[in-house]
Amino acid sequence: MEAHLLLESKLEMIGTVTDFTYKWCVNMGFDEHSAARMALSVDEILTDIVLYAFKDEKGYVEIWYQYTPSEIEIIIQEKGEPFDPERHTYNREKALIEGDFKGASLETVQKMTDHFLFLNRGKDGKEYRLVQKYSFPHILDLVPNEYDFEKDEDPESEHNYLVTPITSEDAEDIAKLIYRSYSYSYPKEDLYFPRRLETAIYNEYKYGTIVRTQSGRPVGYFAVVKSTDSMIGEVTEAVVSPRHRNRGLMKKMMLHLIEMSRSGGLSGLFGMAMTNHLFSQKVNSRYGFKSTALIISKTGKRTLKGMEKSHLDMVSVILDFLPLTKQWQRPPCLPKDYAELFSEIYNQFEEQDESSVKQKPAGSKSEKTDMNLSINYESQSALITVKTYGSTFVGSCMRMLKSTEELTLTSLYIDLPLDDPYIDSAITWLKDHGFILAGLVPFFHQEEDYLRMQRFFKDVNFNEIQTYSEVAGKLKKVIQDEYNELQKNQSEA
Amino acid sequence: MNTMNYKKTSQKLEVELTGDFNLKAVRKISDLLGDGSELFINLKNARFVNSKAIIFLHKLMQGNPRVVVRLKNPPKIFFELLQTLGLHRIWELDEIVEP
Repeated sequence: MEAHLLLESKLEMIGTVTDFTYKWCVNMGFDEHSAARMALSVDEILTDIVLYAFKDEKGYVEIWYQYTPSEIEIIIQEKGEPFDPERHTYNREKALIEGDFKGASLETVQKMTDHFLFLNRGKDGKEYRLVQKYSFPHILDLVPNEYDFEKDEDPESEHNYLVTPITSEDAEDIAKLIYRSYSYSYPKEDLYFPRRLETAIYNEYKYGTIVRTQSGRPVGYFAVVKSTDSMIGEVTEAVVSPRHRNRGLMKKMMLHLIEMSRSGGLSGLFGMAMTNHLFSQKVNSRYGFKSTALIISKTGKRTLKGMEKSHLDMVSVILDFLPLTKQWQRPPCLPKDYAELFSEIYNQFEEQDESSVKQKPAGSKSEKTDMNLSINYESQSALITVKTYGSTFVGSCMRMLKSTEELTLTSLYIDLPLDDPYIDSAITWLKDHGFILAGLVPFFHQEEDYLRMQRFFKDVNFNEIQTYSEVAGKLKKVIQDEYNELQKNQSEA
Repeated sequence: MNTMNYKKTSQKLEVELTGDFNLKAVRKISDLLGDGSELFINLKNARFVNSKAIIFLHKLMQGNPRVVVRLKNPPKIFFELLQTLGLHRIWELDEIVEP
């Protein structure tokens, strides 16, 4: 579903890339007009790269095509001549009167996309990010006026349930079920748009299970969203219709999902359990999930139907992990600052024991640091993933952090590979730059374990964070201490 | 693949693009047109016309001597882009775009 192109910067390659872009966007569910807008935007950027970034010199362009149920993002990277978009703004009057069309390409891209971002990463190159949202109708636009969602509900006396894997044809029923159960309070907006759901299922971005009554009415839904970077998935989007709760449907669905994931060859599942209550953490724990990280994130203020604390701004989650493979070895060395904590995290898993340690392949340290950035525009967060540490780590990291200053972020995460002793230096440097620990993210990138650090731009009230497991409590303690230390240092500075 | 099919007479160039109207097509048309005074382009296979192509046409129409430009079957996105660049205010679309 995701695609990656590496091309020589030549005029002749542009048509091939725009053809591919158009077809890929249509395949991912865009209508022809939206696909043409994306193809045009890619054409505009590539044309300027060919004309101005490399001129007559040989150079390369890399393009990533990324999909989520709400949007498509195309990332174009090149390392040509420096460029400052601020100095290339389009001026209509100048164009009409003087024939000076400087900046026309960027103006076009800005108008043709929902979101356009230019990131200058200095020596590591330039990055153009084009985002277009799906324009699918909301469930309320699909049902007749005054539609009674309660009518879809079977009487409470109904006890015969059928649990089956979801198909794209279940999308509208799932959207109705979400609306009936949560009104507007469900945090995942995609679920209110049946075509987004349909496309996500069709594109195998997610799979899941649906529970229906004997009469065929949907009363439960639970899904796994597959990682695009590793053979793991997130258990998420759980809903049971209010009248059918406390009948073991959640258990049936969870067991079904675990079985489906195991037979689908996944190495593990993880759940992001909100910490404003213990319910999800307890559910995860019951099925063998173990806590490995505490991630602070931001969500828009919303009312959670049926929850005591209704207005949430900063929301944190406990990452609970369930390994589905026996082939899981702990890294050769644990980070010095967190050796004890990480040892406890690993010791929770039967699949792990201290004698099972991965051997790092021999090889010389590469000069180049390989890292990439993914942005979640909806939650205003970004994740930097370090693939390899090179001797340029600090410089590359500085440039990457500088480029993120152009974004409006409430939280920024960085995932560090655990299989290299350089991690200790990286942690020290990141702590000096405002990061604190989040925890272990197992199998998160290319089936490797990573350590996640986090930085947030709003105050956090740790009293609101509830933890269920002992390890989750320890994670909270370490993270809170680091947070307090950071606050103290910042106020002294 | 050919970017276009074309027919050239002494002053007039008639083109049918086989794909999008991009910089490669602009360069080919520019070469073929030479000193010609009339340009007709059928865009029925184009999903988009890019900004370089629009600026190229604009400069032809505003040049000295002026080139008469006629377009057929432009995609919807062409009109959006004209608006984005502010050219919709001065282009005589009734004359330029053939029904």
